[in-house]
Amino acid sequence: MTHPLEPPLASYIATRMPDAADIAVSALERISGGASRETYRFRLDWREASEARSRKLILRRDPPASLIDTERRVEFEAYRAFAGSTVPVPEMLWLEEGSDALGHPFFIAEELTGYQAAPQMLFAGSYDAVLPRVADRKWTILGEIAKADPVALGLDNWMQPPALNACAFRELAHWEAILDSDEAEPLPIARAAIRWLKANPPPPAQKLSVVHGDYRTGNFLFDEAGGIHGILDWEMAHLGDPLEDLGWGFNPIWQFGRGLEGGLLARDPAIAIWERASGLRADPAALHWWTLFNCVKGQAIWVGSARAFIDGGNREPIMIYPAWWLLNAQDRAILKVMGRL
Amino acid sequence: MTPQVPAVLGELAQLLMRNAVPGGVPDAERANALGLYAMLLGIAAEVWDGAAHNLVEENHAVRALLDVGGEDSDLRLSALRAENDRLRTALIDAQIAAEQSGDTARQDVIWAELAASTERRRLSVSLV
Repeated sequence: MTHPLEPPLASYIATRMPDAADIAVSALERISGGASRETYRFRLDWREASEARSRKLILRRDPPASLIDTERRVEFEAYRAFAGSTVPVPEMLWLEEGSDALGHPFFIAEELTGYQAAPQMLFAGSYDAVLPRVADRKWTILGEIAKADPVALGLDNWMQPPALNACAFRELAHWEAILDSDEAEPLPIARAAIRWLKANPPPPAQKLSVVHGDYRTGNFLFDEAGGIHGILDWEMAHLGDPLEDLGWGFNPIWQFGRGLEGGLLARDPAIAIWERASGLRADPAALHWWTLFNCVKGQAIWVGSARAFIDGGNREPIMIYPAWWLLNAQDRAILKVMGRL
Repeated sequence: MTPQVPAVLGELAQLLMRNAVPGGVPDAERANALGLYAMLLGIAAEVWDGAAHNLVEENHAVRALLDVGGEDSDLRLSALRAENDRLRTALIDAQIAAEQSGDTARQDVIWAELAASTERRRLSVSLV
């Protein structure tokens, strides 16, 4: 069965590969998950200089309404900025910001094959021996992201650089506004957390960093030896305090019920790895602020997914699952971080 | 739960019918979709029996905490939920007042009720 996206996708790629002939798209299938973008894998075949070639690629297309609304240009440029660096990312090929070709904006990237991403797979038992290696790589790479100079990477062209003393409240205001607009029921726990965050501001950021925005177990590709070969899902990337990403990974949600940060490692050794790789210091009080902030951010995302379904902008079941599965768990995470559970 | 269960079940019913049509959905997408629908149905099944009981219990607890009268005479889930929303909005106001007055004992009582509320809503698959 030919997927209805295959013909228009082949036509689009033909416009981007003027030296290629016999361009064909096949085996296009949607990858599960991907509530913020529709993600598909496919095979591209073509002839160039009388030679048959093929490549496995990824299509990331905007949905009608998203769990998080972000600019695909920002995501695309974040991936491109780290290409060839110590932060492993797939190669970005083409960005299309118009809706004519496939109905919504999209980009096309290399597919990194032969690796896994799902936490369920990582924690199923067969990877237990390499989990320390995964943990070391995970927080080392995050330290490399924190250490990078966003201006040298050119990312200040695409992402607004905040003042060092404005990073925290800029992000808090952003996610509180989403809660204000999207909540479908009172959220007393998240609201109490926001009041605490406003009353107890963290110190200014020690440097301006690239913030991945969703750096957690589940958003990187790992192998059987514990290596990490791709950092994925940069759609919430922005410039800000490097502790923000560390705190997102310490949201208790991402322990996956294993009692370890990211399901991988105790907090102190994880911080030590990050500090060694980044050359930065994770001030405990500041990190606590960013961890609680990220619990609020998480709640805003889950509330947003519920809102997209309720309003009819996106009725796909993937929008329901985060809300049903995570809203109460995120409240419990807030209580834990605030010492109330 | 939000979105509310009846709306979700209605949507899933339509999607299941679409997936049941031969050739209507690519096989790989069908497998992924059915797995997700199964998880959602499992959650709906889990919360179904206790939903009304939990809302009545919570509404009673919050009324006592706020020292307000009232009772849940309409036991439809939509009515219980509307009353729950009203009471939890009042609870936010009460917590703000306790914070502003520095009444830590009152704050502790409210935090205890909020923790209890997450126990009532806790799923067997909860990550926390």
